[in-house]
Amino acid sequence: MNPLQRLRARRREREEPLIDVETIPRRRLTIVLAIAVGLASLPMLITYILLILTSFSNTAGMLTISDLAHYVPTIQPWIDFLEGKVEPTAGHLYTTMEILGIILNTLIVAAGVSIVVVLTSTMAGYAFSRIRFRGRKALMQLVMILHAFPGVALIIAVYALYVWSLAALPPSAWNTYAFIYVILSRASLEIPMSIWLMKGFFDKIPWEVEWAAIVDGASRIRVWREIVLPLVKPGIAALSIFAFLAGWEDFIYVWVFLKPRDIYTLATFIEEQVRNLETAYFPVVAAAGTLYLIPTIIFFITTQHLLLETYAGGMKA
Amino acid sequence: MGAERLRSFLTSRRGHLAFFLAPALTLITIFYLVPLILSIYISLTPLKYWQLNRYLTDLSHPLENYYRLFYLVTHHPDIGKVVITTIVFTGLTLVVNVVGGLLLALATYLMEERFSLFYRTLWLLPRMTPIAVYSLLWYYFFHGSRFGILNSILLSLGVIHKPVWWGVDEKLLPWGAWMILVYVNGLVGVSFGMIIFYSALRSIPREQVMAARVDGATTTQLIRYVLIPSIKWHIVFVTVWELLSLLTTYAHIFLLVEWGLIDKWWGTTWALFVFNTAFTAQALDQGLAAAAATVLVAIGLVLGLITLKIMGFKELMIEPRGEL
Repeated sequence: MNPLQRLRARRREREEPLIDVETIPRRRLTIVLAIAVGLASLPMLITYILLILTSFSNTAGMLTISDLAHYVPTIQPWIDFLEGKVEPTAGHLYTTMEILGIILNTLIVAAGVSIVVVLTSTMAGYAFSRIRFRGRKALMQLVMILHAFPGVALIIAVYALYVWSLAALPPSAWNTYAFIYVILSRASLEIPMSIWLMKGFFDKIPWEVEWAAIVDGASRIRVWREIVLPLVKPGIAALSIFAFLAGWEDFIYVWVFLKPRDIYTLATFIEEQVRNLETAYFPVVAAAGTLYLIPTIIFFITTQHLLLETYAGGMKA
Repeated sequence: MGAERLRSFLTSRRGHLAFFLAPALTLITIFYLVPLILSIYISLTPLKYWQLNRYLTDLSHPLENYYRLFYLVTHHPDIGKVVITTIVFTGLTLVVNVVGGLLLALATYLMEERFSLFYRTLWLLPRMTPIAVYSLLWYYFFHGSRFGILNSILLSLGVIHKPVWWGVDEKLLPWGAWMILVYVNGLVGVSFGMIIFYSALRSIPREQVMAARVDGATTTQLIRYVLIPSIKWHIVFVTVWELLSLLTTYAHIFLLVEWGLIDKWWGTTWALFVFNTAFTAQALDQGLAAAAATVLVAIGLVLGLITLKIMGFKELMIEPRGEL
C-alpha cells in the first residue's frame, strides 16, 4: 500500500461510522421519515420561496400560490428598490445613494462586529487554553454565565451609558460614535460564546509545537501570532463568518442606537417599510428582504458542514 | 522610560496574560458587568425619558418601581395579559422546541445520510435568517388579507370563506396570537434541540445500536430503550437552556406586534414588555423597565447556574498543557 492509499483507507475507516450506523436496510424507514419531515418543512419552504418569487414579480401586493400559474418574472421590484421608489404612487422616497448607504451601513456593522469578535476572542481563547493563572476557572465560569444573561436587561443600562457618554462628545462626532458603540456593544454579546469556541480550537493544537519555540526564547505573544494563529485558521474563519452574520442580522441594537440618528440598515429599513405597508409596495420590501438574505444563503450553502459542526461544538461547550 | 517599562511588563508572565485577556475583559466589563449593576441601580431610581442628570441620583423611594410593577401585574388588565402570555408562550414553545427537536434529531439520525444532511441544514435556516427577514416571512404567511399565504391556501381549499386576521381577530384571541408566537419561535428553537440531540445520538457507540438490532429490536424499541435513555442529560440541558432563551427572546415578537400581525397585549411577553417600557415613545419609563428586567435577571441567574451544573463544567476545563 502506498502512503496515499493508506491515507484513503484510514479516512474511509474514520468516515464509515458516519455513513452506516444501522445494520438493517432502511430504505422504507427513510422514505416514511423523509415524507414526514418534508411535510413539516413545507410551510417554511413555501414562504421562503414565495418571498423570493414576489421580489421578481409584477404583482401589486403579495404573491399567492394560485398566482404562480401565470407568473412572469421581472426584475422591476429590484430596480424600484435600488432607485428608492418604495411606494407605487409617491415617486422616489429615497435616492439610489441612500439605498446604497443603507446596504453599506449594514456591511459596516457586520464587518465591525466580526473584526472585534475575532480579535478579542482569539486572544482570550488562547489565554484560557494555554496559560495557567489564578481565577482561570472562575473567570471562565463567569463568561459562561454571562452568555445566559438576558440581553433585554443589559440594553437599558448599555443605552444609559451611551446617553451619558454622548454628552462628553461634540455633536459632530455623534454619528461615528453611534456606529462604534453599536459595533462594540453588539460584538460584546458574541464574545463569551466565541471565547469558548476559540478555546476549543486552541485546545486541539498540540502543545509541543509552541513549546519548542518558547524554549528557544520566543515570547508568548510572538509564538501566538506566528505559530499558533496559522494553525487555527479554520477556527478563525468559522468565527468570522458567525460574527459577521450576527452583526449583519442584528435588529435590536441598530434600532436602538442608529435609527434615532436616521441611520438605517437593511433591518430597520424593512421594519419601516412594512410598518407603512398600506402605502409601501410589497415586492420592493420582498426585494430588500431577499437582498438581506443573500449573505446568509451564501454562507449557508458553502459552509453547511462547518456550520453544523461548529454549532454542535459551540453549543455543547 | 515609559516605553521601556511597558516592554518589560509585556515580556513578563503577567504581562502576557494581561495582553491576551485585556481586550475581551474590557468589553465584557463595559458591556456586561457595569450594565448589570447599573441596571439594578436604575430600578431603584425614578429614571424616565433618559433624563439621567435629573433622576439618576434620586434614591428617595428605592422600591417604588417594584411596588408599581406589582400593582400593574395585579390590577392592570393589559399587564395581566402580558404575564399570562409569557407563561403560556414559554410553556408551549418549550414543549414544541424540545419534543420537535427530539423528533427531528431521531428522524435525521434514522434516515439515510443524504436526506439527513439536507433536512438538518434546512431546519437551521430559520436560525440563520436575519430577524427582520424572518419576521417578514411570517408576516407574509399569517397576513390577514386574502393574499396572506395561509389565508390564500385555506380560501382556495374552501376551508374558510373570507380571510382571517389570525393574530388580532377578537374571536380568535388569545389563542390566535399565541399560536403564531409559538409557531414562529418554535421553528427557530427546534434547530437547537435538533443539533444537540443529533450529535449526542451520533456519539452513542454503534455497537449498542447494532446489538439491539441483532436482538431483534424494532425501531420504536430502539428509540425507547437505547436512544432516549442515552441522551437524557442532553434533554435536560436543552430544556433548561431553551427555557432561559424563551424567557428573554423578544426581537421577532417586537416586529410582529409593531407590524400589527398579532394583538399588542396578547402578543407581548415579559421581555418585550421590558423593552417597550424602556424604549418606545409611549412609555420611556426606564426605572420601571429596569425593575421588570431585574426580575428576569433573577430567574436567568438561577437557570444559568442549573445549566452550568448540568453541563459538568469541570470536565470542560482541562488543564493547560505544559507551562514554563
